[in-house]
Amino acid sequence: MSEMWQEAMVEAFREMMRRGVLFLPRLMAMVTFLLLGLAMGWLVKLLLVRIFSAVRFEALCERMGLTPALAKAGVKQPISHLIGRLSFWIVFLFFAFMGVDALDFPATANLMSAILGFLPDVVAAILVALFGILLANFTGEAVLIAAVNAQVQGARLIANMVRWGVVIFTGAMVLTQLGIAKEIVVAGFSIIFGGIVLAMAIALGLGGRTIAKEALERRLRREKTDDELTHI
Amino acid sequence: MNASRESVMGEPVWEQVQQQCPDVHKVDLLVALPSFNQSSTIESVMKTILAGLNVSLAHSSILIVNADVGSQDGTPEIVKRVVGSLLPLAVVQPLTEGISANPFALNRLSYSGMPAREEAFRSFFAITERLQAKACVVIDASVRSVATDWIDLLAQPVLEEGADYVAPVFRRQRYEGSLTNNLIAPLTRSLYGKRVACQIGGGYGFSGRLASFYLEKDFLWEKDAARFAIDSWLTTVAVAEGYQVWQARLGSKTQDTKASAVDVSMMLAQAVGASYHYMERYQDVWEKQSGSSAVPEIGKPIDAEVESGPINVERMVKGFRQGLRDLLPIWEIILAPETLAGVLTLGLRDDEDFRFPLTLWAQTVYDFAVAYHEKVIHREHLLKSLTPLYLGRTASLVLETKDGSPDVVRQTVEQGCQAFEALKPYLVERWRFQ
Repeated sequence: MSEMWQEAMVEAFREMMRRGVLFLPRLMAMVTFLLLGLAMGWLVKLLLVRIFSAVRFEALCERMGLTPALAKAGVKQPISHLIGRLSFWIVFLFFAFMGVDALDFPATANLMSAILGFLPDVVAAILVALFGILLANFTGEAVLIAAVNAQVQGARLIANMVRWGVVIFTGAMVLTQLGIAKEIVVAGFSIIFGGIVLAMAIALGLGGRTIAKEALERRLRREKTDDELTHI
Repeated sequence: MNASRESVMGEPVWEQVQQQCPDVHKVDLLVALPSFNQSSTIESVMKTILAGLNVSLAHSSILIVNADVGSQDGTPEIVKRVVGSLLPLAVVQPLTEGISANPFALNRLSYSGMPAREEAFRSFFAITERLQAKACVVIDASVRSVATDWIDLLAQPVLEEGADYVAPVFRRQRYEGSLTNNLIAPLTRSLYGKRVACQIGGGYGFSGRLASFYLEKDFLWEKDAARFAIDSWLTTVAVAEGYQVWQARLGSKTQDTKASAVDVSMMLAQAVGASYHYMERYQDVWEKQSGSSAVPEIGKPIDAEVESGPINVERMVKGFRQGLRDLLPIWEIILAPETLAGVLTLGLRDDEDFRFPLTLWAQTVYDFAVAYHEKVIHREHLLKSLTPLYLGRTASLVLETKDGSPDVVRQTVEQGCQAFEALKPYLVERWRFQ
């Protein structure tokens, strides 16, 4: 009995040691991946910040309206630093997932390949979001200036509607790109967009018919009798 | 002169000239008419030009060139019929071969009132160079008020006085050309030190030397510069390059296509954009320049201004106030803090007491120039956001002078020019150290 107990104990210990010996290199591999991730992430971040500084990326973002847009959303950091940080975490997570993969747990068996498969969609979604924000700011600003110069009342409201229209459209595109609730996004977007157009049509047709008529008449009359000042 | 380049640009047009006038190899004067659907005016314009040539330049060798950019109303045929065999004539189509329409041509269309006007001028310069013409006079076919002495006034300074560029000066209504008088002319004067009126269109005179210069400089025709209509930079470039500039007093200008108030923001972007654009190129020239001098003039002195038609000042002040309310976040980026503070106080005044001081206006224009240079926002947005401020200054000019003597507007414009000159160190400092 005592021998059997002893044998069982030794066997269990041996097994544990064997597993430990087998696991140790994987653990070391994971730690190495983490350390490498930290180093590479830091390097990529440093490199990007330097490059952005050399090409005056901050000035470009300011010009394109990205910095003011983010500032309005409460993000006060320079965009080059934000991108630097983001790239650090992307690189680090990439290595961390490799480390987790190296542990060879059954639960995380296909984690890396799944992440790699999803990565192009994430990159595309980020690009779409960036482009969308830039486009929203650009068109919003253009509409605001044009409306003010045409002395349209409610110029800011129109510009904001255009800006937010582009932002919402971009948001829907990003979610579709990421495959998140695709059907709901498409249906929701169609309902909201269609609803707005229908509401505006009904509002103009029923409530604002007289106002629209008067505005058009006023505009046509004004163009005929406007001042004769030539500017050039 | 870069012979190969000139041949590439001018060859298609030159071939058309050679086909129509094989015996013409060298002339003293090239009389050029750009045209586009001007059948209603071209006959009288052409007859007046011929009468003028007969009076003052009968002994000079002359070629008349009509660059038509695709008229559908028989304009070239009218030109051919009127000229007949009186003088050598070539009708060319600048866009048909070799030279292609600029993608921004549409952008410039409503400002100059004629598509492909730039290509027409470029053709004139190429032919001037080929024929070694001493002078090239361009007359707009849309101007009804062309007089017989116009050709002489535009050509004589070049042929006899050594002028390179003769700019037109017209008798105008009291507040006509307010953008030119309040912004373009004072800015040009303070930058390059020449007191030119910067009026555009109607007629110009060029020396062969200047025509060659315009022709061979790519920076005038390509890339960013291609956005600007030719009339907005002809004077600026001639003055900045140090060419001998004259002004010809041509009397009144009555034109079929007239820049209307509706297009003010687009016109402003064109005209002011061109001035700011060339500020970057000619930085070395204007930074060193201080003070200003008058340029020689020819023609009968222009009488006091003609009374203006109705001007809606209230609408202009309203435009300024709306700009102040809605464009403030953009102006905050563009204007220096002290300029912005000055502009903000203007909004507190009643409509009748509304005044936009000249010094503040000059400072505003300079701040916009620096912001344009620094590209703080998209350049077209920047230029168009100047419109309400310009309307404010114009409204102020009208309110300041409406009860004054006939010359009071001219005096106020002169004071504006002096304010621009006095504030030039402010511009130089901000431009260098911003």
